[in-house]
Amino acid sequence: MRINNKAVILNAAKRSRRIPWRYLSGSRRDPSASLGMTAKRPFFLFLFLCSVVSARAQTMSPADIKGLLARVREHRAAFPNLQADFEEQRKIHLLDEPITSSGKVFFQAPNRFRLERRGNSPSITVSDGSLLWIYYPKFKSAERYALGKRSPLDAAITTITTALNLQDVENMFHIIGNKSDAGYDLELTPRNPSMKRIFQKLQLRLNNDLFADRTEMIQPNGDHIITIYTNPAHAALPTSTFEFTPPAGTDISTPLGK
Amino acid sequence: MRFSDTVAHLVTRHRALMWTAVALIAAACIAILTTRMRLDTEVLNLLPRGFSSVEGLKTYNTDFAQTRELTFALLCQPDDIDRLEEFAPKFADKIRAQPWCVRVLAGSPMESPEGIHDLQRIALPLLLNLEPGEFDRAISILEPQRIQQRLAQLRREIEGGSPKPEMELTLDPLGLIAPSLKPFAGSAAMETDQPFTSPDGTMRIFPVVTNQPSISAFDCQKLMKEVNAFRASAIEGWDGGKLEVLITGRSAYVAEISLSMRHDIVATVLSSIALVGAVFFIGFRRWLPLLGMGIALGLCCLIGLAAGLLIFHRLNMVTVGFCAILVGLGVDFAILIYGRYQQARSDGAVHRAAIADAIHSLGRAIFFGALTTAVGFLALVLSNSSGFIQLGVLIAIGISAAGILMTTIFFLFVPPRSRPPARDWILHAVQNYVQRMLRRPGTILALSAPILLALLIVAILPQVPLTFDSSARSMEPKHSRAGTALSLIMEKMPVRWEPVLGVLRAANAQQLHDYWKALSQHWAQLQRDGKIKGFSTPSALALSPRDMQRNRAQLAHVDFGAARVALQNALTENRFSTAAFASAFQFLDELQAATAPSFTIPGWRAQLPPQSAWWFLIDRYFGHDPLLTTGFVTTHAPVTTQAQKNELARELPVPSVPITLSGWSYTLTDLVPWSHRQLLLISALMAVFDASLLAILYRDGRLWLVQVLTLALAIAAMIASMKLVQLPLNLLNVLAFRLVLAIGVDYGIYVLLVWQRSEDVARDLAGVTKPVTLAGLTAIAGFGSLGWAHNPILSGLGLACAIGLFWSLAATIFFTLPAAVMVKPKLPRDRSDETLLERQHAH
Repeated sequence: MRINNKAVILNAAKRSRRIPWRYLSGSRRDPSASLGMTAKRPFFLFLFLCSVVSARAQTMSPADIKGLLARVREHRAAFPNLQADFEEQRKIHLLDEPITSSGKVFFQAPNRFRLERRGNSPSITVSDGSLLWIYYPKFKSAERYALGKRSPLDAAITTITTALNLQDVENMFHIIGNKSDAGYDLELTPRNPSMKRIFQKLQLRLNNDLFADRTEMIQPNGDHIITIYTNPAHAALPTSTFEFTPPAGTDISTPLGK
Repeated sequence: MRFSDTVAHLVTRHRALMWTAVALIAAACIAILTTRMRLDTEVLNLLPRGFSSVEGLKTYNTDFAQTRELTFALLCQPDDIDRLEEFAPKFADKIRAQPWCVRVLAGSPMESPEGIHDLQRIALPLLLNLEPGEFDRAISILEPQRIQQRLAQLRREIEGGSPKPEMELTLDPLGLIAPSLKPFAGSAAMETDQPFTSPDGTMRIFPVVTNQPSISAFDCQKLMKEVNAFRASAIEGWDGGKLEVLITGRSAYVAEISLSMRHDIVATVLSSIALVGAVFFIGFRRWLPLLGMGIALGLCCLIGLAAGLLIFHRLNMVTVGFCAILVGLGVDFAILIYGRYQQARSDGAVHRAAIADAIHSLGRAIFFGALTTAVGFLALVLSNSSGFIQLGVLIAIGISAAGILMTTIFFLFVPPRSRPPARDWILHAVQNYVQRMLRRPGTILALSAPILLALLIVAILPQVPLTFDSSARSMEPKHSRAGTALSLIMEKMPVRWEPVLGVLRAANAQQLHDYWKALSQHWAQLQRDGKIKGFSTPSALALSPRDMQRNRAQLAHVDFGAARVALQNALTENRFSTAAFASAFQFLDELQAATAPSFTIPGWRAQLPPQSAWWFLIDRYFGHDPLLTTGFVTTHAPVTTQAQKNELARELPVPSVPITLSGWSYTLTDLVPWSHRQLLLISALMAVFDASLLAILYRDGRLWLVQVLTLALAIAAMIASMKLVQLPLNLLNVLAFRLVLAIGVDYGIYVLLVWQRSEDVARDLAGVTKPVTLAGLTAIAGFGSLGWAHNPILSGLGLACAIGLFWSLAATIFFTLPAAVMVKPKLPRDRSDETLLERQHAH
């Protein structure tokens, strides 16, 4: 499945709490004109925008955020398994243009997951929480990583597990949030320096079903990854989903050693 | 005229002459001390010479920059782990701002962009230093087709979601830096794997290199004064619970040890003088002789120290125990001779006659007593430890001087009209004991022998172990902050146990490279075989002029123009950012420049900025002399046993490579046989010497047997007591056994000589037993006062000696005397004709 980059960004921006898109878009009709208030238009436009913003996105208090996270935890406890489709766009400084990919993600609380990436360069990423395998069927090669070594890899893993689980996030991040009609927009900033070295900020949007349908991770070097999750399901997942044994003849490497 | 009469004549008739002699000797000694005093605070000089491991440790401690490294650690409460994580960089910045700080390592250099950039700077010399085969393989990546293949592959991997290409291209966009750093990365792996945060997150460590001008004790003290001032303000801004700042390192230790010397000198000398003075006064209740004894002992100390300085030029810190020991020993002579003097005065002799009698009666015993003690301490020369050799020689000189001074100038302080106290309860008690002992020696033996035999059994029984502590901790000062800090760090970060050092010096760069290459290959094989856990060597940084010359010639065959075009095309085709690959083009330029014969390859030392964190690693490998290097071997467990040490000594060296294996744990384990040899062989030699001397002295088999048995039982009782009170032996307090032999034998000599020569045994035995008891108590007090020393070597030695002397004294009084009475009975003389002495010396 090929992702339309422009569409992804556009949709993301439209849903953003900061940009009331349909009113700011030049192609839309000016709402004040129909009310005969042309002379006072800037003033009323300002009032109107304020009311729209306040209606659409309300800043969450720490207590609200705490309550939300408690609800998320209850939800995850009730539904520890999750699978969804994902679309990912990565902008990295080494490349002139972003890379997009899509596939399916399987998750089991607290930190086991499997990513099946489709496209020209398909891959399967499996993590049991301590080890991570990335297998490239086309090249018959696999990479093996030990997690928790504060490598750049941990940033990506944290994005996935945080988005899908939200466990212990209060201790790991400073969190601010907004409530909108569509759900909740949370901005997570790492608390400790080692995490700050890995990534700068994680923006997370939860829908009203408390499912993370969009994440955006910004790294200190400017690289960022936007992921859109769709079609969530909570069916039970077999343990083997999160296990990986390299097929015979696979060339295995350990890029970070050990 | 007899010697005793001559001395008596001089001290009574030519007092001015004697005082002048005393003043001259004191002035000469003080002049020597003030003009030549040099102190040796090097703790390693306490270890014996002749061990390559000790020499290696000394080399590592003096010739490597890491000796100026301090380790700071922050230890927080478990609830404050996140706060510590946030506070750590601020703390590192605070250290960096200190005037004594050269650089701080706040994390692995591989985790910082600067650290990676520094590695890129030194890539060229390291690339050219690769083995020819590896170099040819590495530069084959510059073939245009290989460049295109590599970048296309990396692009596909990025699309596949792998983080590897990003990491690889950030460090090494051209693909040549990784192979050039591979040997270095392998070497550095062990060092960089050492964590900076404890597994539970409550401790963070910060190695810091300081700028102290030298590693002398005074510079260490000066530095630590500033560091401790910083410690007091270092946690400003911390808003969590209790946060400890721990500091350890060589300078911290040396500062503490040298400062504790001052405490040890004051505490041990003052307590020794106070205890000895108290015993003397209780025994004789006279102030002036006490003062005389103090002045004579002070003069002995001056003579010993001055002679020591003339002989050794520098005095080791362990010799601070010299004065306390000498006071404890020298006072014996004063007590003995004054006791005899008082006895003569009690018997009616006038002042001069009493002096002559005391010297005549006890001069021989004091001579032999001084001889056995001096020989006992001189036996420390066999220890090979320069500190203990000095201690032995100084005490031998001092005790000899005490023997002379106590039989001469001491009498300058005895007033002619001095009379013994009318009631002497000590003498009275001793007389009672002697009377009973002479009447019923078997009863006394029936009590003392079972006790001594029981202790002998305890000493022999392996079920009650005598602890032998050969750890480095056994040599640290008591309550050492640096030691406590190190213990906490080791406890929190168990992976940080000390590696075995391999110190290697080469004649030239090529030899250094070849040596380390051979060692690295050998150690890699040992690692594969599971004989060692890991190793790291400076192999990658030991440049080979031969390989570099060959590789430069090979580099000249590369078509750099084609490589540049291929790189640009590959970037464009795979939509990589050309800006992100600027360093790749730059490295191509550097490589092309290196092909010119006139081009000088910059040394990696010059390429690394002084602040680079990699210097922490490099300073561990290279001494001030770049040809003096060290490699490190980690074992599967800390080196604590001889078997481990022997296996390492057998496995690690490579024939024809002159490597010296060392490290604190390795060295102390290496010294255990030496220490056992000190305990057994040299103590046995001392015993043989004592036994021979006693045979010559007594010329009586039964008395000889009694005293030899006494010595054996006293030593057994000493071992048993140490077992029961769990006083551990360490590498150096094993020397206590020979000292106890040397001193303990004197008590027997004093009483048995009197017993042998006496015509009035009751009177003479009481006369000698009182001063022997007082002398024993003062010696015990003198050695026991060393227990106040912070230096564990001194305190351990002092306590062991005090225990040994207690049993020597007890065995002499309660075993030797009754046994001698039993094996060679003498009838007490009728006291009616005791005016013989009075007549003999009457004027």
